[in-house]
Amino acid sequence: MVSEVTRAQTSVAHRKATDRRQHLLLACLIALLLLAMMVAAGMGAVPVPLGLLAKSAVGLSQLSDDQRTILVAIRLPRILAAALVGSGLSVSGLLFQGLFRNPLADPYVIGSSGGALLGASLGVFLLPAVSIAGFGTTALLAFIGAVGSIVLVYWLASVNGRTPVVALLLAGFAVSTMLSYSSYFLEVLDHDFGQGMHVLSSWLHGTIAQPTWPQLAIVSGMLVLGLIGSAPLARRLNTLALGEEYATHLGISVQQTRIGVIVIGSILTAAAVALGGLISFTGLIIPHILRMILGPDHVRLLPATALAGALFLVIADTAARTIIAPAELPVGVLTAFIGGPFFLYLLRKARREVQL
Amino acid sequence: MMPIIEFDNVSFSYGENTLLDGLDAEIHAHDCIALVGRNGIGKTTLLRLAAGILTPDSGKVRLNNAPLPSLKHREIARSIAFVPQNVEIPFSFTVEQFVEQGRTPFIKMFGGLSATDREAIERAMELTDTCSLRSRIFTELSGGERQRVKIALGLAQQPQLLLLDEPMQHLDIGRQFEMIDLMGSLRKQGITLFASMHDLALIEGVFPTVWLLSQNEAMRQGSPQEMLQPKVLEDAFNCPPRHRPRLVEHTRNRMEFAI
Repeated sequence: MVSEVTRAQTSVAHRKATDRRQHLLLACLIALLLLAMMVAAGMGAVPVPLGLLAKSAVGLSQLSDDQRTILVAIRLPRILAAALVGSGLSVSGLLFQGLFRNPLADPYVIGSSGGALLGASLGVFLLPAVSIAGFGTTALLAFIGAVGSIVLVYWLASVNGRTPVVALLLAGFAVSTMLSYSSYFLEVLDHDFGQGMHVLSSWLHGTIAQPTWPQLAIVSGMLVLGLIGSAPLARRLNTLALGEEYATHLGISVQQTRIGVIVIGSILTAAAVALGGLISFTGLIIPHILRMILGPDHVRLLPATALAGALFLVIADTAARTIIAPAELPVGVLTAFIGGPFFLYLLRKARREVQL
Repeated sequence: MMPIIEFDNVSFSYGENTLLDGLDAEIHAHDCIALVGRNGIGKTTLLRLAAGILTPDSGKVRLNNAPLPSLKHREIARSIAFVPQNVEIPFSFTVEQFVEQGRTPFIKMFGGLSATDREAIERAMELTDTCSLRSRIFTELSGGERQRVKIALGLAQQPQLLLLDEPMQHLDIGRQFEMIDLMGSLRKQGITLFASMHDLALIEGVFPTVWLLSQNEAMRQGSPQEMLQPKVLEDAFNCPPRHRPRLVEHTRNRMEFAI
């Protein structure tokens, strides 16, 4: 009897310790994200010292008009955009990994970014007149493109409810390449639109464009919607890890969960692609690192992934626009350099642990 | 007394291959049944039918008098726990997180685990002696440990009936005896067991009832002494001549020695 009581206490203590670790991590991530955004706001051709920024934020000091204009019209939108893109890609990566029961899934790798890109390009080239706030249709078409490509890849790659690594990667690669290059095709068709071409080229390289405030509002709305929608999916994804048949027996509707993940994941991918184009591997790295710290419980991973993704891309984008100033590196190039080797490392590890 | 599960004229086939034809049988509270028969005869299929994972081609499976198709999976999973042969998970869940999944049929859409859920999880881990494995990673466990943890997940569902699909498979002799002890203690707790069994030598002394599936014949029920006779087994398992399975006496000695 004594041992039973002790066991229960150990269990409670252990769980509390895990909860504490999660809360500490979330607090750290919020603090780091705010700090990174402040530092990023100060960096660039016209530096704004961190101290001055902090003082002006609490009303102790005034920024010059130039500094204010640069911050409000250029840097803050860009930084917020990076945060939204990072968050969207990471959370959709987490959801897809849960759905595919495969830690290598990522919106870029499985082709949903490519689908979103093609949808968004259609919006820019063919329907510029019907756009709402210059952006509404683009985001909507990006969403439709993302859903279409995932459904296609899922259908191609799944064997008896499982998606083997090789099948997933090959199907994702093929679909993603086809879709991305279809966007080039649009460019050739429609070379009168100089603006469209510029947008497309920055999307293909994964550059976070200079967004307007209404654009940011739309994407923020999509992100919030996506995060709220992910919450009830997270626990189901834990159960789905046991396999579709077992999850069904335990009362999870696999079909509903699948549709939920595809819709929510596509909203998040579309939001990210509409602002930043093809940014690779972010959705792969961030959930993986957090899984090493917090374990595979999707309920715990969700908020941490959203914050860490934002932090990662704010830092990466700031580095991308300052490393070779005055020129700018597309942030997609940078994440490919960091994420590519990481992806290969995971692939090797997966080959050793799970037979392909 | 009302049976927990009632098979009423149940037939099931995979394409041309008829596995079950007009099966009638009942599982009552406190039963402890071993399901035997040769490979591919439909043991797992029968378990899946009982769990509502499969639906019969004709006939009815009833749970506490309600036909299974009229119930949601959630509702079924609160009365029946199915422990599958193999569970592959791609992520490194701990044993505790794994067993927690047994509470899925009780959790509301946005809810988390309640105190009642926690109690059920603790109790399930105590019964299976897996408390000490709590923080271990499921995929890194040995075969015997993994089997006990899978049963813990089933017990966390607090079911009326526990369905076990080949619980002894891939276990060494020591772990098989552990599993026999575990099933004995589950029986003492009043848990109803229905298990498909590959190794006939392990049945006697644990399972008072045997269901024997054989081809082109109705399913037979009886005590291990009746069912595990050489003649019966020879027919049911289609043994080659001169290899008469003589299990009962042989086993009795072995089991007495073991227990």
